[in-house]
Amino acid sequence: MQILRKTNLKALAKAHALGQEGVIALIERKGLEGRGGAAFPTGKKWRTCHDTQADERFVVCNADEGEPGTFKDKFIILNNPKTMIEGILIAAYAIGAKRCFIYLRGEYEFLRPKLQRQVKSMLKRAKTDVTIEIVRGAGAYICGESTALLQSLQGNRGTAMSKPPNPTRNGLWGKPTMINNVETLTCAAQAVLFDNWKPEVRLFSLSGNIQNPGVYEFPIGVKMSKVIKAANPKRKLKAVSFGCFGGIMPVDENMAITPETLMMEKCHHGAYSIIFADETNNVVDLSLSIAKFYTYESCGKCTPCREGTVRMLNLLRKIHSGEGSREDLPILCELANHIQETALCGLGQTCGNHVLTSILHFPQDYEAYFSKK
Amino acid sequence: MKLNLNGKEMEVEEGKTLLTICRENGIVVPTMCFQASLTPEARCRVCLVEMNGELVTACSTKPREGAAIITNSKRVLDARRLNMELMIPNRSCKSEDDFEACEIYKEVGMKPRFSQIKNYLPDLGAAVIRDNNKCINCGRCVRVCAEIQGVYAIDFASRAHNEHVTPYSEKHLSDVACIRCGQCILHCPVGAISERSHVEEVMAALADPNKHVVAQVAPSIRAALGELFGMPAGTLVTGKTVALLRKLGFNKVFDVDLGADMTIMEEASELLHRLENGGKIPMITTCCPGWILMMEFFYHDLIPYMSTCKSPHEMLGMLIKTYYAKKAKIDPKNIVVVSIMPCTAKKFESARPEMESGVDYVLTTRELGRMAKIMKADFASLPDEEFDPALGISTGAGVIFGATGGVMEAALRTAHFLATGKELEALEINEIRGMKGIKEGKIVLNGKEIRFACAHGGANARKLIEQKDKYHFIEMMACPGGCIGGGGQPIYRDPDTLRKRTEAIYSADRASKIRRSHENPVVQEIYKKLLGAPLSKKAERLLHTKYTKRSRF
Repeated sequence: MQILRKTNLKALAKAHALGQEGVIALIERKGLEGRGGAAFPTGKKWRTCHDTQADERFVVCNADEGEPGTFKDKFIILNNPKTMIEGILIAAYAIGAKRCFIYLRGEYEFLRPKLQRQVKSMLKRAKTDVTIEIVRGAGAYICGESTALLQSLQGNRGTAMSKPPNPTRNGLWGKPTMINNVETLTCAAQAVLFDNWKPEVRLFSLSGNIQNPGVYEFPIGVKMSKVIKAANPKRKLKAVSFGCFGGIMPVDENMAITPETLMMEKCHHGAYSIIFADETNNVVDLSLSIAKFYTYESCGKCTPCREGTVRMLNLLRKIHSGEGSREDLPILCELANHIQETALCGLGQTCGNHVLTSILHFPQDYEAYFSKK
Repeated sequence: MKLNLNGKEMEVEEGKTLLTICRENGIVVPTMCFQASLTPEARCRVCLVEMNGELVTACSTKPREGAAIITNSKRVLDARRLNMELMIPNRSCKSEDDFEACEIYKEVGMKPRFSQIKNYLPDLGAAVIRDNNKCINCGRCVRVCAEIQGVYAIDFASRAHNEHVTPYSEKHLSDVACIRCGQCILHCPVGAISERSHVEEVMAALADPNKHVVAQVAPSIRAALGELFGMPAGTLVTGKTVALLRKLGFNKVFDVDLGADMTIMEEASELLHRLENGGKIPMITTCCPGWILMMEFFYHDLIPYMSTCKSPHEMLGMLIKTYYAKKAKIDPKNIVVVSIMPCTAKKFESARPEMESGVDYVLTTRELGRMAKIMKADFASLPDEEFDPALGISTGAGVIFGATGGVMEAALRTAHFLATGKELEALEINEIRGMKGIKEGKIVLNGKEIRFACAHGGANARKLIEQKDKYHFIEMMACPGGCIGGGGQPIYRDPDTLRKRTEAIYSADRASKIRRSHENPVVQEIYKKLLGAPLSKKAERLLHTKYTKRSRF
């Protein structure tokens, strides 16, 4: 797997040789994109942060991986932490930061002691004055969102803040702060060192009703049949759900998985976590579980997300209990669309995807509940 | 910078938010969580407009060159309506509900479809009551408490639909470091926060034939009460207020200004005493119970600097139960003293054990208005009446207590006379008037320069404390604008209201025949017949108090 290639501080040495400008240009040229789900060009982020006038800058490694069905960051921290730490050091060098943070998901506490040791040894070996602090999240999913993460890091309640100002210009304590995902930073180190590093190779987290769940590496554009083969389902698959927030679509073995083809099905790749549902599953059940998740994890700051998600959940519960009717679907869609359009942060803006795509692609599953009445 | 606003090309200044641009161009954009004095948080998502095809919140978005903005499309209106609907699912907005939310509710054209999901126990504080079931999480109370008052008594807790405003650890407001200033009440758009009402108790006392019920009216009431009955801000309604109180059945109506004059006599004497005898300088005023609480919670080391004078209504309350009771030959036990105050902290103050208060109940301006409505009194058509003479002569110095800087100004007028035997040349001290957060100035007393400063709003008070050693005399008011902007005053939306009320207060001062406290014949009489001199043993016992160190936790 490409992600497991070790860089052994050679990437950092190369970065030092290239100079700040050279590293940023190299990252831009290699076409590295954010792997947290938003796919923002990493080089551009680094450049903005570098170009913003400030006396202090920070790098934050976002290891607050919390979406159900996503576990690639854990995989990296377990199997290739040193390359990730090197990525942090390269990023710190590129933008001129002296203090770095790893914001570790609260539930990943078991990873911390080992990671702490690795950080210590890497900093010693790299002979750098950069510091890396591991900060443990307190368990809120929203703290994976960059502005909420920064609030949490500063000791505040983790709520999303409206942008602009973007953290790259005005982040931790008002200073430019670069927030990158674990996978992004690992890839950054590899992209700097290896000439044959391929930007299109991504980590896929496969889970659901399959026999071989886990982290796999596929290039973007991979045929769905190939992914399904690796997942090895027991029964005939019915639907693939892209995490909680990417939407759900019917299995189409011949489809190449790219952001564009997914867009045609009103889905979004996110962090390429795929949850498989087979014939025995009902999509409404899945929607209900996912609605429980985002209703519980909304930070509560903006009205549509705070009040809207709970109403969506209530409607789904009503449908699921057999009390619902066809008249509920338009309200459900109205709410989902409304939250997406008017919510403050990424959580609200994507939380309706699942309901909308499930109604679009699987109306028969909803019908099944209506006819139970 | 060029913009296209609703199809009209226009030139606007860079750096302005969409909301400012829209309002400058006469376009109505409803807002709930936005207030000009507070940092925009973009919580409520009601001020939505369409910019380049995307819905954005006008309060927090600064447009780029050439942006196309639409404020009235169906998409915008629908989104606003749905957000209001989600926020206030079960509000009926009856005609007597005069909350900001109701206006917007009607403006966006609501059709409630969702059921109420909130189920909280109300927080019944001794001065301020909060009902989270009405709350719409706009966060204005949280921000005013933190940004303007510097108290940080409340914040949001929990996540998602369980998010709610609360003091720390779900405690009650009475149990935390809340200064009871009531600014949160003024900033709440839905009436989820209110004062602890004493209307019923007062009405019961009024109905009791054995009780002699005395009302005393604070200076700032006369500049604000009219607003509750549809009069424009800044209308002076002194005479009508007296008439209203008589109509409601109060036996006597006194002016707290007399208490203010007494406070001035005591406080000015105390200041001079400290200056001459090397007492703790600066001396800090204590008319504001919100500030006293702030000091007791956060600045324990300031206690020796505080003046020991009671606040005006407490002084007058004491005098009513002693001087007046004797004069009118009424058993003090049968006298019920009701203070009409612009303040919620006064409710707490009159219950302080240190105070040994003469005041039985405190009603806010809003409660008085409510009482008038319950009794169906037609305020506008009431005649102008005079305060009762027994204790009712007051000075302009007492009136300006209602505005920030007023206590200072009145005290200096008298201190100058007491120290030098001569009157202050310029009666109006302009450097401590106006709405600037911290104001300072100096006068010369017997060849010695006296530097003074005043702050209004808790956050400004905190700033002023940092540099207190520069001054001899400091006035602190917890509420922005002083008492005229107090937490018990009518809820206002126009930010200009405070300025208009202040002007009314100063015009009342200018219209007064006597403008210096020491010239008030009643004050002179009280000292002659009851107290002797300022700071005498008897004055100390009746008119002075002490303070407590309170824990923040």
